Formats: sequence, structure tokens, C-alpha cells
Amino acid sequence: MMFSNLLLPEAIIAITATVVLILGLFLKDKEVVGPVSILGIVIALVLTVANLDAREAFQGYPFYNAIVVDPLAQIFNTMFLIVALLACIASMKYYEKNESLDEYFMLLLFALLGMMMVAISNDLITLFIGFELASLSTYAMAGFDRKDARSIEAAFKYFVIGALSSAILLFGISIIYGLTGSTNLSIIAKTLPYSSPAMLATLFIIAGFGFKMALVPFHMWAPDTYEGSPPVVTSLLAAGSKKMGFIAAFRVIILALIAMKIDWYIAFAVIAVVTMTLGNLAALVQNSIRRMLAYSSIAHAGYIAMVFVVVAHSAKAAELAIVGGILHAFSHAFAKAGAFIVTAMITYIFASKIDSIDDYNGLGKRAPITALTMAILLCSLAGIPPTFGFYSKFVLFLSAIKGDLLWLAIIAVLNSAISVYYYARVIMRMYWGKPTGEKVKEPAPYTLALIIATLGTLALGVYPSPVSDWAYAAAQSLIGGL
Amino acid sequence: MYISAIFITLLIGSIIAFLCRTREQARVVAVIFSFIALAISLLMCLKYDPTKGLDNFREFYYWVPSVGINYHVGVDGIGLPMVLLSTLVCALCAIYAWGEEHRANQFFGLLLLMDLALVGVFVSLDFFLFYIFWELTLIPMFFLIGIWGGPRKDYSAIKFLVYTHVASVIMLLGIFAIYYFHGKATGVYTFDIPVLLSAYQSLPLSQFWKDFIFAALLFGFLVKMPAVPFHTWLPDAHVEAPTVGSIILAGVLLKMGGYGLFRFLVPMIPNASSFFIMVIAIFGIVSILYSPLAALTQPDIKKLVAFSSIGHMGFISLGVAASLLAGDDIPRILAHTGAMFQMFAHGVITSILFGSCGVIEHATGTRIIQDLGGLAKKMPKFAFIMVAGFFASMGFPGMCGFIAEVSILIGSYPQLGKLVFIAMLSIPLSAGYHLWAIQRTLFGPYNEYLGDLHDITWHEFVAMASWLIIVVFLGIYPMPLFDMMRATAEQLLALIPQGGIAL
Repeated sequence: MMFSNLLLPEAIIAITATVVLILGLFLKDKEVVGPVSILGIVIALVLTVANLDAREAFQGYPFYNAIVVDPLAQIFNTMFLIVALLACIASMKYYEKNESLDEYFMLLLFALLGMMMVAISNDLITLFIGFELASLSTYAMAGFDRKDARSIEAAFKYFVIGALSSAILLFGISIIYGLTGSTNLSIIAKTLPYSSPAMLATLFIIAGFGFKMALVPFHMWAPDTYEGSPPVVTSLLAAGSKKMGFIAAFRVIILALIAMKIDWYIAFAVIAVVTMTLGNLAALVQNSIRRMLAYSSIAHAGYIAMVFVVVAHSAKAAELAIVGGILHAFSHAFAKAGAFIVTAMITYIFASKIDSIDDYNGLGKRAPITALTMAILLCSLAGIPPTFGFYSKFVLFLSAIKGDLLWLAIIAVLNSAISVYYYARVIMRMYWGKPTGEKVKEPAPYTLALIIATLGTLALGVYPSPVSDWAYAAAQSLIGGL
Repeated sequence: MYISAIFITLLIGSIIAFLCRTREQARVVAVIFSFIALAISLLMCLKYDPTKGLDNFREFYYWVPSVGINYHVGVDGIGLPMVLLSTLVCALCAIYAWGEEHRANQFFGLLLLMDLALVGVFVSLDFFLFYIFWELTLIPMFFLIGIWGGPRKDYSAIKFLVYTHVASVIMLLGIFAIYYFHGKATGVYTFDIPVLLSAYQSLPLSQFWKDFIFAALLFGFLVKMPAVPFHTWLPDAHVEAPTVGSIILAGVLLKMGGYGLFRFLVPMIPNASSFFIMVIAIFGIVSILYSPLAALTQPDIKKLVAFSSIGHMGFISLGVAASLLAGDDIPRILAHTGAMFQMFAHGVITSILFGSCGVIEHATGTRIIQDLGGLAKKMPKFAFIMVAGFFASMGFPGMCGFIAEVSILIGSYPQLGKLVFIAMLSIPLSAGYHLWAIQRTLFGPYNEYLGDLHDITWHEFVAMASWLIIVVFLGIYPMPLFDMMRATAEQLLALIPQGGIAL
């Protein structure tokens, strides 16, 4: 088949991005680009969800088996599309009066396209190109508040570290190509020999993806970038771009682990434990909520990294672990995107980008919808039922027990319990801090984005069955494809 | 359908209460919906069939079948009294708090949500559902302490949340392990509680996992009960919580820990190390002894009452442990039933006690015992109820606390022997601090600095008098509940092989 409607979502995003770019050239009043982007994303989202449970590898012309649309790709694409949708809606308010609106939305759509490319790629080169497309777009977006020194700093840090990680990643890919003569993942899985160069390459690839996933010790850019970037961009970075690291890692690292049968679970366990512990401990003492959320994001990367530990340790628990990882990535995407949009709302209320926990005092009175949604999203991040975050953590930690890793599960649940402290602190401020001002009118775009994120979090928390089944299909497609 | 009807009633009531604009609307909504829930649970008591055990009011719907999670609820002779207790305490709390002025709509909304979560804990027959409700109880309580609490509310609210959450997640690991080993042995991965527990005795487990699973669950329940030394969150939470928060906390929330012992740990005992029985007994006895000693030293009447809860909950641990040890059936069943009865009895009695603290604070503006004195002169109606409540807590014959504690002590003696005497040392101490507290607050010369006091308000009186009537009724005629619990106690103890476990 030359072209399939399974690739329509990607095509629509590419077309929308181009249309937005061209519209920007000709239109004086650029307000229209926001709704156009949203329309494109919604259509792509509907098309993705309408074609669930697909499994098609595009062999031969024109893609030479470089692209595969399977449930794993689709579930991550859905995630990326939802996050981008939320970021788009919020951006319409945040960049209300910006004259480069068209460029912003174009970058956002290309970043989205890059992420979706990573999700569907079955070839290291395709994957790398998607990775770079998303990275380059987000570098520019991180520095989009050109007159704000912190935004520039954020973009610069992100770019330097990102460029380094790309180089390392490419180095790893080149070694693998040298060993197997192919960049195709299916072929690599069958032919990659167990040898020291292969292990070196795996190490490089882990490091390359590790930067994106913000795993310790590759995490140091994240707090500065998340804090300094425009908050709507941060929501895309933390909820979308980071998950791109995970889908890439799921495809490549899990393949390498299973193909080479290397016993690296101790190494991954150290990374996962250190990442979650450091993230949580650092988040405890933050006064800036954006920084706190950044560290919490690192902690969540640590939880998701438990997937690699379980997969490396025990074949019987691999499927459940991947399901847990996918679900947790999903719940984290909803909650983090929403939480960073709340910080955008705070920026709007206080007309200042410096954020502090004191800004949240009495928010329950000043901005009731924001406060309520923030409280629910924070509960999801903390893993308190009945939110989606609880269900995903439940499955993830369950897989650790199933994989005979009791000690890992204990460390993880204790971490999760510690994290309740810093989330609850914000909720306390919102509901029984003294209000610092009058009631404010909450801008509709922010409110809409927050309500979507919160409803998703609650609905999937109460009835996780559909997405849970979908994640099972994705895990089977990942394991079965090898 | 009855159980789901309670859920739906309370959920709708809670949402309506949150949306109310005035406190007059909110409190009417709270009273109506909490009493509907109470009426449904009373109806369930009438229709309850003791021979059917957990099949009573059972409902089962698929929820997340791929992981083995289902909506499965039902009650037996321990679950149903606890449902009744939750709805009863919450309904009377809605009346007690009739005068609440600060953010009343949120207050009553949270009260109904709390009711919902508590009922959920006592009816869940699926571990996932159970854990959701178990955690859900934390959220309304966190807000009740935080928004309506005293000066150190921030510290207490977060200590309560984090401390009990840590215990919950440890318990969750134990649940995971049961789930996993059951699935491994039988091929059926499910969180269904009756299925898991009935298969648990024959699961092939290594010694480590046996101990781990039991210890993890036990830890979760002991913190909730709370047993000394895991009790430190409780006095802080009580001191800062608003009166209604304290009543629910001590009256019902602590019972979740005791309920866990009956529902989960008793059926699991045959596949656990027998020394755990002694662990439960020792925790119980230490709590029983520690509580009056700590209470004697408290300057704050509410903290005194908080410490008294720890001792009364200790009796539950003692009764459960004693009923599991080898011995004759009759004392074992008596101890077990007494422990169950104590769950209900203490829930009602402590509501009066914390209600009294609330009335004192409301009328005088202080809870420090030294600043009080002679209140009976100005508040005769209140003094009557408070004295009756304190006597009930002390274990005065003719009141339900007496029935429970005497059953436990008599039923424990044949198995535990001298250890019971150690526990009984607490009785004079307990009488001492109760009487001394009454003497210093209600009697003696009136402290003129307090000015002119008004007596108890009508809504506080109605709520506390209702509790008192129940206390006396069950003290004279405990049979309706006692028989229901006894049938379940017999069914539970029949699971223990050879008439109990020898040490």
C-alpha cells in the first residue's frame, strides 16, 4: 500500500503547520492561526482514535519498513495530540497580543509532528529525524519570550544540552549501524550481537534519550528550562517532549535489552531509584512552583524508568511493566500539562513570570476553577485515588512486585508517599492560605484547557478500562514485534 | 442495590451541598441526604440474613477486567454495623454542626463525601475499590483539619496526610503480593477479596513473603487504629481538627484499622507466622496501658479524649489476638464478638466525648482543663450528657462500652492468662483520668473568669442525646448487634484450623 489512512494524522499536522506558516505571511491579523492549529490537531486526534488497534508496517516503497503504526505508536500519538491541544488552547491566551503568533503555532505543530514521527518510526534514522525536528522546534519555543532573560537562558541551556545529547545519540546509532549493517529496528533486533561495542552503543543511546527523559544524571537542564520557558511551552516540554524520550526509549532500549539479553537491571535500578529520590527530595524544598513541578517531573521519569528495570529483570512481568509505563506516561502527560497551564494562569493573574508558592495563597477564593483543577491534577501526580495518576502508579508498582523486585517497589511507594507532602503544600495554600487579592476573572482558554485535562484525569481514573486495554495491546505489539 | 443507593445518595448530596450558596441551604441538604443514607443502612440491618455472610447485599460489576478489578461490594456482620456506624455518626454530625458558619457549603459537602468514603471502605470486596475508598477518606479529613482547624492546622493536616498515606502504600504492597502470588498459583489474576482470602490459606508462599504480606497489612491497620508507637499523628490531628472532624476521625476513621484486622488479617492468619498473633496482642496491651498514663498528663481536654481512644482501640487488638489462640470455642467467640462490638461501642461513645469537648470550646473558648471548673452550675443539661459519656467511656455497667470490654477481657483470659491482668491494670487508671477530668471541668468552684455561659445549643443537644440513647440502649440490650456480630465471628473463627493457633 502506498499510503494509508493510518498516516493521515501525521499528514494533517504537517499540512496544518504549512498552512499556518503561509497564512502568517499573508495575513495582517494573525488571530486566526490559533483556531486553525486547534482544528488540525482535533481532526488528527479524531482520526487517531478512530483507527485504534492498527498494526501496519509500511514495507517497501515509499517507506522501506521505516515506519510502523501500531497501538504503541497510536497511544503515544494520542498523548502528544492531547498535550499539544491543551498547549494550543492555552497559548491562544498567553500569546494573545504577540506579533509572531504564526511562527509560534508553526513551531508547535512541527514539534508535534516530530514527536509523532518518533512514535511511529521503526528505523533509527527516522527516529533521529523526528527527534531532531521536535527538539529544534522546542528549542526555539523555549526562548520565545525574547525579551525575558530567563526565557533566553532556558532556551540556551536546553539547546546546548540537547545538541550534546543528539550527538551522543547519533554516535550510538552509528555504532549499531556498523555492527548490524542496518538502521531498521526489526533487523537490529534479530542481528545485534552480544558484544562490547553493542553495549557501548546501548549506553550512548540510553544517555541520548536520558537527556530527553530527564533521568539523573542527565537531568540538570530540566529545572532551569522548565522554570524559565514560557509556561505554555513548558507544558508541552514536560508533558509532550519528555514522553517522546520515553517512546523512543521503549522502542530502542527495550529492544536492545531483550535482543541482547543483557543483565543490566542493577544499572537501570540505580538510575530509576536515584532519579525518583533526587527528584522528590529536591521538589520538597522548592519555593517556585514551576521548579517544584520540574523536579516532580524528574521524579516521575524515575517511576517510568522502573519499566526498564522490570523488563531487564523479569520476562514474565515485562508486559505489565510496559503497560504501567505507558499508562503512567499518559496520566503524567495530562496532569503535568494541566499543572503548567495553571502556572500560566498564575503568570496572568500576577502579570509576572517570577512565580512563588505564595502566589497560590487563597487561590481557592480568587480563582476557584483553577484551584479546583490544580488540586485534582496534583492529586493525580501524587497518586491519590480516584485519579488516573493513581491507577497508573498502581499498575506500575504492581509490575515491580510481579517482577520479584520488592525492594524497588518499597522505594517507589515511599518516594510516592514523600511526594504527597509537596503537592499537599500547594493545596493547603490554595484552600486555606490568606488570599492576596480580589477574585479574578479566569480567562476562558486557560479554563477550557484545565477542564479538559481534569476531566480526562478523573474519567480515566474512575474508568481506566479502555485505555488500560489499549495499553495492553500496545505492550503486546512492542514485545511481540521483536 | 442498597449499597449503591447509599453511594449515589451521598455523592449527589455532596455535590448539591458544594453548590449551595447559603449555609441554610447547605445544612438542610446535608441533614436530608445523610439521614437518607442512615435510613438505607437501617433498612439493610432489618433485611440482613446472618446465615448468608458476605452474600448479603452483594453487587458485582466488571470494571477493569484485564487487570482483574471489579466493582464488588457486600457486607457481613462486621461490615454492616460499621456502615451503620458511619452513616449514624455522619448524620448526627450534620445536626451537631448545624450552626457552622465558616464556608458552610464546603463543610457539609466534605462531611457527606467523608460519609461516602467511609461506607465504601466497609463494603468493598475488591482490593482496588477498597484501597480507593481507604485513600479517599484522607482527602475530606485533610480539608476538614486544614480549613476549619486550630492554630497549628498546617502541621497537623499534613502530618495526618503523609503519615497515614505512608502506612497505606505499605499496605498496598502487601495487597500486590497477595494478588501476584494468587495469580501465579492459580492463573487467575484478580483483586477480588473473597476469592483471594479463601485461596490464601493454601497459597504456596515462602516464609519471607508470608511474613512480608502479613506485616505490610498489619502495619497499615495498626497505624490507622492507631497502636502505640504509631499513634503520634492522632493527638496532633485531634487537637487541631474541628469538633466534627474529631468525631468522625475517632468515631469511624480509626475503625478502619480494626475492620482491617477482622476482614483481612483473621482469614490470613493460618498462612502467617504464629508470632504475629502475639505481636497484635502486645500492641493492644501496650496501647491499653499507655493510653491512660498519657491521658492523665494532658492539660487539654480534647487531647485527653484523643488518648483515651488509643486505649479503647487497643482492646480491639487484644480481643482479636486472643480469639485466634488455641482454646475453647466459647471464650474465643466471646472475645472476637466483644472486639467487634467495641468497634461500634467506642464509635458512639467517643462521639459524645469529642462532642463534649466541642461544646466546652464553643461555650468557653478554651479547652485547657485548668481554665475550666464548675461548668455544671452554668450548663446543667450539658453536664448531664458529658458525665454520662465519660462514664460510658470508663466502662460503666449498663452502657455499651462495658459489654464490649468485659466480653473481651473474659474471652481473652483463658488464652492469654496473666497478660490480661496486665491489661486490666489500666482499668483503675482509666477510671481515674475520666473522673478527674469531669471533676476538674464540671464540678468544683466555678471559674468566674469564664463569665456568663450559655448552655448547650439545641442542635448539639439533639445529636449528643441521640448518641447517648444508643449507648444506653445497647448497654442494656446489645443483642440486635451482638447476635449479628456473633454469627460472623463464628464464621470467621471457623476458618482457623484446630480450634485456634498454638504458640
